Amino acid sequence: MPDEVPIAQTETTNAAPVPQAASPDPAPPPSSDRHRRDALALTIAAAAWFVPGLGHAFLKMWGRALVCFSTVALLVILGAGMRGNIFSRNGEDSFAKLGYVADLGAGIFYFVAQALETNGPDVSHANGDYGTRLLATAGVLNMLAALHAYEVTRARKA
Amino acid sequence: MMPAHEFKLSHFQAMVIFALVISVAFGFLSRRSASHRAKYILWSFILFIVIGVGIGWAMYPFSH
Repeated sequence: MPDEVPIAQTETTNAAPVPQAASPDPAPPPSSDRHRRDALALTIAAAAWFVPGLGHAFLKMWGRALVCFSTVALLVILGAGMRGNIFSRNGEDSFAKLGYVADLGAGIFYFVAQALETNGPDVSHANGDYGTRLLATAGVLNMLAALHAYEVTRARKA
Repeated sequence: MMPAHEFKLSHFQAMVIFALVISVAFGFLSRRSASHRAKYILWSFILFIVIGVGIGWAMYPFSH
């Protein structure tokens, strides 16, 4: 699906002569452009984290946006439906703290999972344990997607 | 908000859903054309399942 139009393609190039003429690299963009793009990349990454797929939607990558949103949503719905453990910030050990970071990676879906799981977690059975893994996977996957949106905005990835 | 119903999945069903969802997400994030995405998703899914089942069998002697 040719839905990708990285905004960084509109970058203006410096027409001034480059001292290292033998280098095949193009001239770097002006500093102000770079700072502006860095700020935009951070904003898009934050949006992509908070609402899965929103960062790619801002970049007009509709296919990727839809897939990011639907995969994270599916994993959270399944994980909460299987009564997986949603870690809170008051974790006692390192595993619980790491689990909280992974779960929080799902952005707004972290709170959706809490709202869906009205009966609380049940990890006394294998089903709840699988649900815990699916919830953590949703968060990590969303963080990866946010990183991808960040890199695309900085024109490091296509 | 109440969940529609609780899901009861076996280990294998959970693994297949996990493999499918992650393969689709990775395929869309890492490839641009539809054909490349389809190939990537298919290969990734097959490898997830084969390696998962393989590790399960490799661990079998230690569970008895």
